[in-house]
Amino acid sequence: MPEPILQAENVVKVFGQGRAAVRAVDGVSIEVQPSEMVTITGPSGSGKTTLVSILGALLRPDDGRVVIDGTDISTLREGALSMLRARSIGFVFQSFNLLESLTVRENVLFPAHLAPGGMNAARGRADELLETLGLSHRASALPRTLSGGEKQRVAIARALINRPRLIIADEPTGNLDSKSGQNVLMVLHDVARDEGRAVLIVTHDRRVEDVADRILWLEDGHLRDRKQDEHEWVRDPVCNMALDGWTSEIFVDRDGIRYHFCSQRCRERFEASPETYVEASRSRRPARDGADR
Amino acid sequence: MFGWTVKELFSAPQQLFASVSAVAGAFALVLFFDGVFAGESEQIVALIDRTDADVWVMQDGVGNMHMTTSFLADWKIDAVAGVEGVKKVTPILYLNAVIEAGGRNWFSFVVGLEPGDSRAGPWAMAAGAPLPGRGEAIVPDVFASDAGLAIGDPVRIAGRDFAVAGFSADTFSMANSITFVTLDDLADTISSVGTVSYLLVDAEPGVDAAALAARIMDEVEKVNALTREEFSARDYSIAVQMGLDIIWMMTLIGGALAVLLTGFIVYSHVTERERELAVMKALGVRDRAIYASLMVQALVIGLLAFALAVAVVSLAVPTTHALVPKISLAVTADSLWRTGVTAVLVSLVAAVVPVRRVLSVDPVSAFHQ
Repeated sequence: MPEPILQAENVVKVFGQGRAAVRAVDGVSIEVQPSEMVTITGPSGSGKTTLVSILGALLRPDDGRVVIDGTDISTLREGALSMLRARSIGFVFQSFNLLESLTVRENVLFPAHLAPGGMNAARGRADELLETLGLSHRASALPRTLSGGEKQRVAIARALINRPRLIIADEPTGNLDSKSGQNVLMVLHDVARDEGRAVLIVTHDRRVEDVADRILWLEDGHLRDRKQDEHEWVRDPVCNMALDGWTSEIFVDRDGIRYHFCSQRCRERFEASPETYVEASRSRRPARDGADR
Repeated sequence: MFGWTVKELFSAPQQLFASVSAVAGAFALVLFFDGVFAGESEQIVALIDRTDADVWVMQDGVGNMHMTTSFLADWKIDAVAGVEGVKKVTPILYLNAVIEAGGRNWFSFVVGLEPGDSRAGPWAMAAGAPLPGRGEAIVPDVFASDAGLAIGDPVRIAGRDFAVAGFSADTFSMANSITFVTLDDLADTISSVGTVSYLLVDAEPGVDAAALAARIMDEVEKVNALTREEFSARDYSIAVQMGLDIIWMMTLIGGALAVLLTGFIVYSHVTERERELAVMKALGVRDRAIYASLMVQALVIGLLAFALAVAVVSLAVPTTHALVPKISLAVTADSLWRTGVTAVLVSLVAAVVPVRRVLSVDPVSAFHQ
């Protein structure tokens, strides 16, 4: 078993104090191996951004340990953290975050100034990456002239310029159309498979699950493993919302049947008058694939 | 990072020009007022510089002309003329006085000249006789124009009336002007017959002025002798010292204004580009690199503003003098040097303004939509 590129143990992050304290990340442990593509998904407000910020060495955890490429970040000073990010982590953001005054090639080369290694070599690598990502003809273009898909490919090239071992992508397909999103996913998949990098993707995009090696579910600060294609499509008997019974955490067991709810409010309404909703749910259409259980 | 800094700055040329112009305005004000002061100071030593004598001889204990009185017994004219190496001695009587004409009053150096001797006389004429006769005065053309004087009109000097015989050029500033009368008239007016104020000494060819001044002091009792350069420098220094506080105050006010403007511009750059700064921090750029970038931006703005201010003032000086002749303007190397240093200091101070803002930029915000 190779050494994991990313390793987090019992990571905790709390915002606020006293009664107002929120445990955004609560005892999360995760390992990502070389060549592995891992997806973290979960509902909005589940702590995904906080977790990915910690795993990307942008935010220090209150407790726990994070090791990136063999370096424990909890003991590093700010300057060393910046250096670690420049050298070992490539970031891909949902909104691309290209530097608007720089050309495509200059954007790709920007992180090369921050890490050790010759700029001449970086220039060659930038040209290679632009070629690989089909952007050679746009090398001198400014970001405002690019399509969303092109921007995200530039961002990926920028993330790869320093040959980081860990790529962290936050909703990389969030602002892209279907075709561009698929293209970006395949590029990230190839980065993991062909170049041996660890790719961690935070997303709501279900297409990512098709190419990811592992899917992790984050809810209320807790992380759970979830296998691909392991869905249990059900409907909330109160509001009729389609839910994945596998990930749903609000449910009531009644007469040997488990009823799932989108919220506490729906559960309370169900409990106030269960017969009404049980009867109604029997006459409704299935949530997906005829699996209304 | 440096490439981004420069590209970012020049990515919006109109915004950059507006920013630079605002700061240049502050520097131009400093240079302009400095120029006015330098021009006035130069006019104070105009008589010394333009007559271009090798050595000036004056009463012992006196070392200046401006705001000073000097009296020498007239026998010392021959005594100085007898010193080896002296080619010619030109005596003048000299008085600080107010001249009145056409209902206007003006402060003036009044210079009494030997009859028919133009050595210490007006160096440029606008109209009329080149030298005054008895009962006549030659007044600055700017003053004449201001007071509506014509040749032959009366002017009152130290309580005595003179007729205007000519108008001299380059002898007027707001703080000072030079009026020429005959030595005898001035001696009568101030009751100082048998005395003169200063002796202008021309040296024989090849004689060193400093050595000649020393020899005059050795051989003629109770006189002070200075080379023209030293005499001029002393008066210029006094004029500058009198206005030094004003100059510094102007420089400070202009500098403070420039700091505020540059600081505001750099701060605005930071607030407008907070997201890009967050992305840079996320990618691994350190805070100190961002500060250095801001400092470069502020320096570029400051130096461009200084260059623009110099260009504007270079155009404004001749234009102003043509439109308002009574204002004497001179942009000196000292003024340029001081304002240039101020521009650099302003930039360095202004770059500190957004430091807290830069520190507060959270790299995590790069993840936010």
